[in-house]
Amino acid sequence: MIVVTTDTVPGRHIVATIGLVRGSSVRAAHAGDDVTAYFKNLVGGEVEEYTKLLAESREQALDRMLAEAAARGANAVVGVRFVTCEIAGGCAEMLTYGTAVKLG
Amino acid sequence: MAYADGELAPDERAEFEQLLATREDLRRAVARERELDLVARSAAGPEPMDAEWAALGQDFAHRSGLGVGLALVLGGIALGLGSLLYLLWSASLPLAASVAVTALMLGGCVLLLRALRARVRTRRYDPYREVRR
Repeated sequence: MIVVTTDTVPGRHIVATIGLVRGSSVRAAHAGDDVTAYFKNLVGGEVEEYTKLLAESREQALDRMLAEAAARGANAVVGVRFVTCEIAGGCAEMLTYGTAVKLG
Repeated sequence: MAYADGELAPDERAEFEQLLATREDLRRAVARERELDLVARSAAGPEPMDAEWAALGQDFAHRSGLGVGLALVLGGIALGLGSLLYLLWSASLPLAASVAVTALMLGGCVLLLRALRARVRTRRYDPYREVRR
């Protein structure tokens, strides 16, 4: 599966547009990570607990989008975007969307 | 595995998913495949501070500090709640107030245990907990 943020794939032709595909994920760190992160917040630097949390959420949302694209018979997703929103404090919310296409 | 890589045709995928719903060994195998895929996807060169993080991970004081700190915090919370319950029931408060606060605390514990049980049951099929950055 080719996944790109551009609207086209150089050297390939889009033979069919399947439509919008998306995947979302909301994940939380456990209380231990939140406590550790709170103290890191006081001293500065990278808070790896939240770096990891955001990465987990990103990968899960991406996989859900790819699963939908595959289920609909696509072999590529173009124009992929990641967006985040505020649902709950201490959670990483990620929405990934793009256009599923068939490349020739 | 073709399913984990998203290479199955829609009808084959649906058929496999029916099988997946009934076979725990298959669910574990798919989760393992996805874990490997995630590791491969996040393959990147080490950053300068990574060696220092790894050294800290091996450091006894750093590792045990987390466990000791969390145990003290959790122990303090449990002891505090227990003391609160004791004070509540030993003081001459209206029965309704004591029952209400006790129900609130017990309800919270039940909800926490419910969430914990759900996490324990689903954790083994969650490959994303291995994602680092």
